[in-house]
Amino acid sequence: MAKRLAAWVDYALALILLLAAWWFATGPMEMPTYLLPSPLRTWNALVGIAVTGELCVHLGFTLQNIVLGLVLGCVAGVALAYLMTRFPKLAVWLDGPLVILQTAPKIALAPLFVVWFGFGILSKIILIFSLVFFPVFIGSVAGFRSLDPKLKDLAKLLGLSTFQRFRQIELPSAMPEVLVGLKIGAVQALVGAVLAEWMSGKFGLGYLMTFASATYKTPLLFAAVLMTVVLGLLLHVMLTMLENRLLSWKGAKK
Amino acid sequence: MAQSERMIDIAGVHKTFVADHGTVTALEPVSITIKAGEFISIVGPSGCGKSTLLRLISGLDQASGGTIALDTAGRKRPVGFVFQEPVLLPWKTIIENVRFPLDTAGVSRAQSDKIALDLIKMVGLAGFEKALPRQLSGGMRQRAAIARSLSDDPPILLMDEPFSAVDLMTRDTLNDELLRIWLSTGKTILLVTHSVDEAAYLADRVMVMTARPGKLKCIHNVDLARPRGDETKLDPAYHALVAQLRRDLRTSGGEAH
Repeated sequence: MAKRLAAWVDYALALILLLAAWWFATGPMEMPTYLLPSPLRTWNALVGIAVTGELCVHLGFTLQNIVLGLVLGCVAGVALAYLMTRFPKLAVWLDGPLVILQTAPKIALAPLFVVWFGFGILSKIILIFSLVFFPVFIGSVAGFRSLDPKLKDLAKLLGLSTFQRFRQIELPSAMPEVLVGLKIGAVQALVGAVLAEWMSGKFGLGYLMTFASATYKTPLLFAAVLMTVVLGLLLHVMLTMLENRLLSWKGAKK
Repeated sequence: MAQSERMIDIAGVHKTFVADHGTVTALEPVSITIKAGEFISIVGPSGCGKSTLLRLISGLDQASGGTIALDTAGRKRPVGFVFQEPVLLPWKTIIENVRFPLDTAGVSRAQSDKIALDLIKMVGLAGFEKALPRQLSGGMRQRAAIARSLSDDPPILLMDEPFSAVDLMTRDTLNDELLRIWLSTGKTILLVTHSVDEAAYLADRVMVMTARPGKLKCIHNVDLARPRGDETKLDPAYHALVAQLRRDLRTSGGEAH
């Protein structure tokens, strides 16, 4: 408990130092606002859009896309990895195409996704999905392949059905690697979501950034950037909680 | 208990593997009939096919020829299997692990909890129901594995060097507990071991196997009085049998300890 408190104090101190440096640059050093708005101005811009309800709309839109992309990418990644370990033939067929898709820079494909799937939410979800899918898929393949053969014996001995095998043995045993993939994927998802909103549409934190920079509202731009940082932290906390819950049996850190 | 019932009928069972450099004989034809409630030990050096025989009986591997008939009236899970390692599911608690065969067979929670708690008590793990496997010692994990193998009440219990990973003191204790469990449940037990002392101490009959190629060399009847205990280990007949088993293994060129 005391250790935890000490960690929080360290966090808080680091943040305060950062804020102080920021304030120092804008106050005594007199950096112009269009380059670096003061913490107060940024805060005011944030409160401004929060009061009108805009913030909620943009934040909600981005978060919704991230969650959708994460869930879909995660399910598809685990599912394909499972099928490929179950049917080795499938792995042989899909290996080539998957390597090409995996090495293709998804960010560079983003404009293409807009052309193919329109300006709406679909192209955004597909970009996020493509970014989440591969880390989760690769993690899951490693997880399913590392299954202890003795656990396979146990499953065979008990005559478990395919579903029981998957639910009771294969998935929990692959979970550590799946979560490693998911954590990498979540960072990518945030990047993908913001990028997709830069390209098209009228909603989301990414849109807010392009709007703010196009109209020289640097405090608003800063506010939007700050919110993406908060969103990233939120995702991190959520995934850590999930990890602690699912992997507590490994003696994972509390 | 009907001692005359034939529980396991093994006739000419053999196993060959196809390896890179040709076929390897893991087990030459073995025939033996095991009665219900009998305790059989199988000793032999590494590579004598003793584990293979157990895997064939359990159905984990398919024999290359011969027949294995189990008198288990078409049960879905005729055998319980205790591996060399505990093979517990590390994300499940001890009671969840013991209950696992019942849970996956659709037994109601109330009933399975009762069975699991009784078994946990029987193997001496009361108080550790909610513990995770990693929190227990090797011996305790192996006890949990034994409890799990008994939970859906299979008539046959196959044990593949179950105590080889635990220290000698624990091993003696576990052997005595195994005898107690055997007496109270009336299971037919086949136990594979490296230790001739353990084999002689526990069994009604000892199968001696030799390596390269793996085959059954001979079978000894163990006429030591039951129940067995510390006195058994002082019995000259016990020592004579142990010495005989060692000789059997040595003349075959095997390296048992």
